[in-house]
Formats: sequence, C-alpha cells, structure tokens
Amino acid sequence: MSNPTPTPPLPQNGEQELRETLKRCSAETIEAAIQFRQAKNPELANAIVVGILARFLEREQREKLHGESDYLRLSEDLGVDSLTMVEVVMLVEEVLQISIKNEDLRDLRTIGDVKAYVNAVARGLPPPEPPKAVGIAEIVEVMPHQHPFLFLQEAELRAKEARGTYRISGQEFFLQGHFKDRPVFPASLQLEALGQLGVLLLLKGKIAGVEGRVDPTSIYFTSCMGIRCVRPCLPGDVLTLSVRPRRVKPPAVTFEGVVTVNGEKAAFAEEITLVFGYAAEGSGSGAAQGAGAGATTSAAAVATAKQPELKQPESAVSGLGAATKSAPKKHAGRKSAVAKSGHVRG
Amino acid sequence: MRNIVVTGLGFVCSIGNGKAAVRENLRELRHGIEPYEPFSDPRSPVKLIGAIKGFDTRSPDSEDWTWPSDVSIKRDVLRGLAPHGLYAYYALVHAIADAGLAPSEVSNPATGIFTASAGSVSMIYHNLTRMFASGVMRCSPMGVVNSVVGTLSFNLVAAFKILGASCGFASACASSGHALGYARDEIALGRHDRMFVVGGEDGNLEAILPFAGMRALSQAETPELASCPFDRRRNGFVGTGGAAVMVLEEENLARSRGAHIYARFDGWGQASDGYSPAISHPEGLGLVASMNRCLASAGVTPAQVDYVNAHATSTPIGDRSEILAIKKVFSGGRMPSVSSTKGLTGHGLSMSSILEAAICCLALDEQFIPGNAHLREPDPEAAGLVLPVKTKSADLRIALSNSSGFGGANTSLLFRRL
Repeated sequence: MSNPTPTPPLPQNGEQELRETLKRCSAETIEAAIQFRQAKNPELANAIVVGILARFLEREQREKLHGESDYLRLSEDLGVDSLTMVEVVMLVEEVLQISIKNEDLRDLRTIGDVKAYVNAVARGLPPPEPPKAVGIAEIVEVMPHQHPFLFLQEAELRAKEARGTYRISGQEFFLQGHFKDRPVFPASLQLEALGQLGVLLLLKGKIAGVEGRVDPTSIYFTSCMGIRCVRPCLPGDVLTLSVRPRRVKPPAVTFEGVVTVNGEKAAFAEEITLVFGYAAEGSGSGAAQGAGAGATTSAAAVATAKQPELKQPESAVSGLGAATKSAPKKHAGRKSAVAKSGHVRG
Repeated sequence: MRNIVVTGLGFVCSIGNGKAAVRENLRELRHGIEPYEPFSDPRSPVKLIGAIKGFDTRSPDSEDWTWPSDVSIKRDVLRGLAPHGLYAYYALVHAIADAGLAPSEVSNPATGIFTASAGSVSMIYHNLTRMFASGVMRCSPMGVVNSVVGTLSFNLVAAFKILGASCGFASACASSGHALGYARDEIALGRHDRMFVVGGEDGNLEAILPFAGMRALSQAETPELASCPFDRRRNGFVGTGGAAVMVLEEENLARSRGAHIYARFDGWGQASDGYSPAISHPEGLGLVASMNRCLASAGVTPAQVDYVNAHATSTPIGDRSEILAIKKVFSGGRMPSVSSTKGLTGHGLSMSSILEAAICCLALDEQFIPGNAHLREPDPEAAGLVLPVKTKSADLRIALSNSSGFGGANTSLLFRRL
C-alpha cells in the first residue's frame, strides 16, 4: 500500500488566525474548520456553515438549529436579515476559502439552501439552480385542486425540494365541525397539503427521473406511511410545507414531507406516494400513459382511512391528491400494499 | 403658548454613569480626569483624558465591548454602533427610565430624537484600514452605519423605534446646543410633544489626539493643571467622551402624567463669529449675540440670571473670549455666578453642550451652583466675574449655558426652576 500524499498541515499561525476568526463559534465549528483546511474535506462544509450561522443568532433562535433545521427559513424563522447574511457570508468565505456571489445570496432562503449552495461551491461544482417561485395565480392555474380544497398559497420549487405555505384563515368550511367550538386544522388535511405540493412539483418543477410533461388530470394519491402529527394547527397559523422526492419510479413518485409552523414541527410524513402520467405529445392536456378511468378503490380506501376526522360521506371524494378521480387501473393491484402502509401512526 | 420642560436625564461621562454619581461628583468637585493608556506612547505629547468608567470599547469589534450590566443590548443593535453609540444607547435607556416613559410613549409619532455627534473617527479609521488591507468585500456591512456622521441617529432611531422627527447636528462643540435648541422649537411649534436629545463622543485616541496638532490640548500631566478653566495657568483642554441625554416634553403633557420636572427650558439663542474656522472671536462677538438672543427669547433680563455654565475649555484664547463676552452681557447689573464644569469632566466636544445643560438641570433641581474645579489664580481679565471655587448651595432660579464650536458657532440655552 502506497503512502497517501501527506496533506500540508495548516501553518501554526494559520490555525491561530482561524481560531481568532471563529472565536465566537462553538468549539466543534472551530475544529471542523481546522480539519477542513487541513484535509480539504468538503463533508465538513455543512457543519461549519451551520456553526457560523449559529454564532450570529440570538440564543432563542440558535436553539431552533438543534434537530432538523434544513426547513428553517433564514429570515422568517431565524431573524437573519440581509446584513447579517453578509456577515455570515464573509466568515464562510474566509473560513472555507470560497467565493460566494452576491446575486446568488438572495436565492438562499433556508438553511437547506445555504448548505446545498456551500456544499456545491466547496466541491468546485456549479451552485444548485435557484428555486423557482410560484405565486397563487399560477398555482390556481396549474393545479387540479381548486377552492375550497386548495391548501397552497405560494411555493418555491427546487431540484430536490418544494416548499409552500398555507395560512389557516379560520374561514375554511370544515373548521365549523372540526371541532365543535374549537377550530383545529385537520391533520389529514396537512397531509393533503403536502400531497398538493407534491402535485405542484410534478407539474411545474424538475424531478430527476420524471422525463416529460406530466398530465395534471393523471395524478392520484396512492399511499403514505410513517405519519406523525405533533402540533395542533390553529387559525392564524402559517403552515410551511416541504416535500422532497425520495424515490422516482414512473409512474410513481414518493416524497417525504414536513409541515412546520414558525419553525416548529407540526407533522411529518416518511412517505407520500403519488402516481402520474405524462401528457400526450402535442396535446395541452388529456390522458396519457397510466391515466385512465378505473376503480376508485385504492385511492378512495386510503383517503377514507387517512381522514377519519372528516366524518362525512364525501370523504372519499376529497381525498389526498386528485382522489376525486379514480386511480389508474394499472395500480389497482397496489391496494394491499397501500392498505398496509397507509395507516396513520400518530 | 407651549412650554417645554426637562423630565429625564441620562449620563455616561467621566464623572459618572447616571445622575446620582454625576450630582455627587459635582457637589464634591471630584474630577474624572486620568492618565490614558493609549496616550502612554512617548510620541503622544498628551497624557490625560476625561476617562469613561465601566465601559471597554477599545476593540474595533463591537462584540468585544463590555458595558455596565444593567442595560442589555442585542447583537444586531450592537453591530451598528460606534463607541459613542454604545454610550448613547446606555444613557438613553437611563433617561427614558428617569422620565418614566412607557414604550408606547417612546415609539410614538409625537416623539422625536435629535442627535449631536461628529461621527466616529476610530471606526472610520478601522474600517478603511481593513478595506485597504483585505478588500472592500471583507469589510463589515455595518462599516458605514457604525462610523459616519449620523451614526447616532441611524442606530437610536431603529433601536428605540422612534417614529417622530430624527436628525443630527454637526456644529462641533456647539452641536448638542443646536440639537437642544431645535428640539425645543420642535415642541414649541406644536410639531412634537416630546423630544429626546442625545450628544455623544467616542473620546478615544483617534477622536482626541488630533486636537494636539492645533495645540489645543493640555500637555500637563496632573489633572489640576490640565483642566483649569479661567485660571491664569491654563494651557489647553483635556478631551473626553461619553453621552448625555435629555428628555424634553411639553409642560402640560409632562404634568398630566405626573413626571418629575427638573427645569423649564425657556429659551435659546445662537449666533456666529464670522471670524475664523477654529479660533474664537477675540471679544466673543458671536457669543455676546447668542446670549442676548437667548435672554430675549426667554424674556429674561441679564440681572435675573443666577448662574452661567461657561463653555470655557481651559484654552488661553477661548476662555478669554468668553470672559469678555460674559462681562459685556452682564456688567452693570447683578452678576451671575460663572463656572466651567469642564474642570471636572474635560471637554466632551459634540456632547459638551448637552452635558452642561443637563448639569444645569441637576443644579436647578437640587439648588446648587457647581464650582470651578482647579481654579487657583483667576485670569486677571476675569476681574469682576463671580467665579465660585467650591460648589455651593444656592437659591438657583435661572441658569444659562454657553457653547462655542469651530467656525465660531455659539449657542446659549436658558433653564428656569419651576
């Protein structure tokens, strides 16, 4: 075995300088930075960036970084204004010895964005494409869902994530009965909102493995699993929705999804699976592969199972995804698998 | 007619942080002048400064700074501050508490703020040094906000959510006199009901030492000889910094909320020398006009004035001009007591006028006349002036405070005990 090329150790004064530069960061951050400089290990970039960011936060905001933080928005959830961002960038540039372009900064909205960006730059790769913002007008135009069953008001689409928001107005029809004199946004509809965000990503975003234009009338919910709902969501709350593709096997795509309110986790879904079909070439819409009339069974069954709160006969009609339409025949065979995995855990 | 009263005071100065310490040191004539470590460099001909206690702002990085723990400041506020921004923030918190104002009275469309500061030479110096050494993209994004003239207003308006008028005054050592005068007018004209007036100075090497180039600083190594206004042996001023804050309110408003009233701010005047950018008029021409306008605006005759807090900084030329000006205005009638409290505090440049106005308010409130610290052999020109050496209790009703700045800018402010 040949000796690995010795990496030149950080010069003594270089390490001291780095320690001085990072003096208000955690010890772990400083050690990671020293290791990064010595070994040029890009794996450490994320820890360093988050450590630097933490140093600029007030204590109560800093605590939010423990646990799953990729979804946290820099401005809204962490109080990082554009000037603080410049301070963060300067320190990150100095420590990681990279250069961050000014015009890229405004696209970095979440911790996840920052990590993905710095990761790419630290590896000498082109930065990830900036997220694509989708406003309410466009959402209404492209989504098969419409008022009063549209739970998405604005969204940002990225290569590996879609993020959206829905503000619970308190005027939603179902709040009249959910619950008596005590309106609580149904947990099942939080999952519905995540599903709708997945639909939007299929229609307007780019998902690796989804090649071609997706027919909006072809998308159906088929299954979900690993659902945890941990925070009641009330009128006035703004649901921050996030879905990330986990598996793409056309005609199925599986997302994981998270709902947060003000940086606090409200619901989590390990898997939400939708099926879809491609639009026929040359046609604006219409059925294509996998999109046919068929049994309502799987989607409806799951919708019912997942939405026990909606104690109305129409529940099957208002299921996740475009469950008002029948699921494609081709996937009727998934019924048993769906039934197994579609249980609501908490 | 709308009367204007003083309902809150805040101090960060060489003779104390807070009015209790300042009052005690005025009464006991304890000065705040000390050897200053950055002046220990043998190349510095000046050794003494009016030292601010309880704060450490030596680092160019504001996150290294320390200050008395009774006031907490968030990082996103701190990063925009110059050293005197920190002093001013602290003094403003104290003044607001002293006036007993609720947050809704501080952040209110009828509440404004006027500031006086020459900016921060040290922050500009550090920011430019970094820019030249490391490139502009490695400079603090707050490098402009924390240094240029205006830094006090930018930061205090944002930190205290001020909704009324905000602007700054830069007329050198008359700056905070102008800020007070125009703040008074703002209330008298009915545009505002309440004004905060803030004067601040870094008072560090970068702010003070350049005055040695014009031979304005005392090179004496003992405080008694270094800051001795009106004394025959005076040889220049001792620099200082800090911040002073006054809360001005319309009288009925102050009374309706049961505020403690230190004094009523009955008038002010200003006039210029039209003579030299840096040297005062030999007969104090502008200062005479300024005092006369002040008296006229307050409807007060010279003989009614009990006390004049002089600008006198302990420079040979400046003190002489003021002696002549005071004689011209007051001779022939009852002479007021005259003292310069700079013998105790040092000269606070942009903040000096408001510091001394605030001292007048303390004196009116507590009925004493501050003495001339370090006055041993009065300048022969001062014959005929009443220059008390010790602080004395007195039936003090009307006090007038003078300030003179570069360019021959003069202000006079008149306060009356109610």
